[in-house]
Amino acid sequence: MSSTRSTPSLRLSDRIAGAILLALAIWYWIAAGGYSVAYGDPAGPSLFPRMVAVPLGLFAAFLIVKPDPDPVWFRWPHVWGQIAMLAVLIVYPIILEPAGFPLSTSVAAVLLARILGASWLQAVITGLVIGFGLFFLFDGVFGLPLPTGPLFG
Amino acid sequence: MEILGFLADGFATALTPTNIGLALFGCFIGTIIGALPGLGPVNGVAILIPLAFSLQLPAGSALILLACVYYGCMYGGRISSIMLNIPGDEPAMMTCLDGYPMAQQGKAPEALAISGIASFVGAVAATIGLVLFAPLLVQFAIRFGPAEYFALYVMAFATIGGITGANPAKTLLAAGIGLALGTVGIDPQSAVPRYTFGSFHLYDGFHAIVAIVGLFAISEALILLEHGIGGHSGAVPVNRAFARWPDIRKSLGAMFRGSGLGFISGILPGAGASLGSFIAYTLEKRYSNNDDTFGKGDPRGVAAPEAGNNAAAGGALVPMLALGVPGSGTTAVLLALLISLNITPGPLLFQNQPDIVWGLIAALFMANVFLLILNLPLVGLFTRMLSIPMWALMPFVVMISFVGIYSISHSTFDLQVMVGFGVLGFVLRKLEISVVPVVLGLLLGGEMESMLRRALAISGGDAGILVSSWISIGLYTMTGCFLVIAVVLAMRKPRRPVAQPAADADYVGD
Repeated sequence: MSSTRSTPSLRLSDRIAGAILLALAIWYWIAAGGYSVAYGDPAGPSLFPRMVAVPLGLFAAFLIVKPDPDPVWFRWPHVWGQIAMLAVLIVYPIILEPAGFPLSTSVAAVLLARILGASWLQAVITGLVIGFGLFFLFDGVFGLPLPTGPLFG
Repeated sequence: MEILGFLADGFATALTPTNIGLALFGCFIGTIIGALPGLGPVNGVAILIPLAFSLQLPAGSALILLACVYYGCMYGGRISSIMLNIPGDEPAMMTCLDGYPMAQQGKAPEALAISGIASFVGAVAATIGLVLFAPLLVQFAIRFGPAEYFALYVMAFATIGGITGANPAKTLLAAGIGLALGTVGIDPQSAVPRYTFGSFHLYDGFHAIVAIVGLFAISEALILLEHGIGGHSGAVPVNRAFARWPDIRKSLGAMFRGSGLGFISGILPGAGASLGSFIAYTLEKRYSNNDDTFGKGDPRGVAAPEAGNNAAAGGALVPMLALGVPGSGTTAVLLALLISLNITPGPLLFQNQPDIVWGLIAALFMANVFLLILNLPLVGLFTRMLSIPMWALMPFVVMISFVGIYSISHSTFDLQVMVGFGVLGFVLRKLEISVVPVVLGLLLGGEMESMLRRALAISGGDAGILVSSWISIGLYTMTGCFLVIAVVLAMRKPRRPVAQPAADADYVGD
């Protein structure tokens, strides 16, 4: 568990989360009003979302009123690693099909290993093993087609 | 008794060479996954579900594989609890309390052996209980109509909040988030797209498996970085798990008591293996801690929670199989698996596909036998696995998650959704909002809504149908009682300080 007190009793994290969720609950309720059909069951598509919106909003409001102590969101310098990891995770699906599985997976794995503390040599070896190994395992052994990309296709 | 006949058929199905091979493979992989810190049964099964699904294994074999992985992970989690004081999953926390001191006193082989045997005893007790109780519950469940099922779902969601011990308001909030996410997509009853923003990728809504892998595996990777880099465990490799008969005999009582308590707590919706191990340990301590040996390496302190959580894991399958209502994270993942194989748990499952059900039960039993046999000599191999550096392991886990999801749908959109859920999981865990109810909401919201609408359609819009039968009234009353108890407990003590595990395994498991 990574919760320690940062500033005493400001507790903004829970309050902000509660406010966002409350706003979302209200929007969710309003949007549900637009879903209606002339046929079908008496409840219609809007009843259940509205039923969910109520406790969602109430508990979100509770969070605003009774927040827990703030967690430590970012531990420096590790947060750079987290941002880098997130960047890799976001970019990977985008380049997966154009660049092909072996290449993009290897690159992603190399970067992830490096972020996690491997040396460049260890990272490259690990990345290549993971990228090509998984490709061979899934595409070859299991027969699940994976995009090969311009280099191998 | 025809039940025994079904069970025998189940064993016959489970004991074919292919299935035995899959079972051994699953047990092995499961133990490794469970032993590695940071990965637990939920993560392990979650990561492998897409694989099993896209390999198009027949349903029975897929169930056997994943049941073995599931139990394997639980066994493996004990290894890391005892050797490293890092619980492999939430239920394993109790095992650390006496297991790690035993390891420190050089008695790691005994601790590992006792935990293996106790787990086996718990699982056997649960299998027997399952065989006895599930059909009974099924008989009773025939009387459940849509209104009663809706009441049951309400109870399951309400009790998830109360029993897990964390802030109940946050747990219920998480359930609400999950339910809301579950409504995204085309409404099955009226074909109206809801919350799709015109994106036709979202017409199918969020797949539970994508959410599960994102919320558990990807968020784990993001959180891992916080604890610094260069994770190497400090475990000393052990060659064999071994205990002498006198020690085992002393702990037998604890094993049986733990099993009984665990199974009962497993049956209750909203309770899971962690409650089972917690209750088993606490009550065993109160019952037999005469010389104040608990907490300092008493084998019974290992035997009780181990038997308890295996029995509870089995007990949790009773409502899951008979009614289709999972009560915990791991049963939720199992339910997601069953649904993805087009198997709908519930009373009809017992009638229409008894071979699947009994095959599964036989498989679970076999898993425990295999694990006992594998674990005792092979524990050395597993403890050596603990020294794989994190920089090799985590990228592997992340990439396997991607491949697994991609191999089901070939949609990079799903991969992005998975990363999105990973970020959501990270945020929720930071806020100490449990992630399991989100998964449950996503998974069950559709069914819950469908039951509600069907009930209202039957009654022509009269809401009274929801409380018109004794079953419904009883369920709502029990829900009310649970909620009151939960609120009272939450007010009496500030949230219990969790025995400090090193990894953030706690808000993930059941």
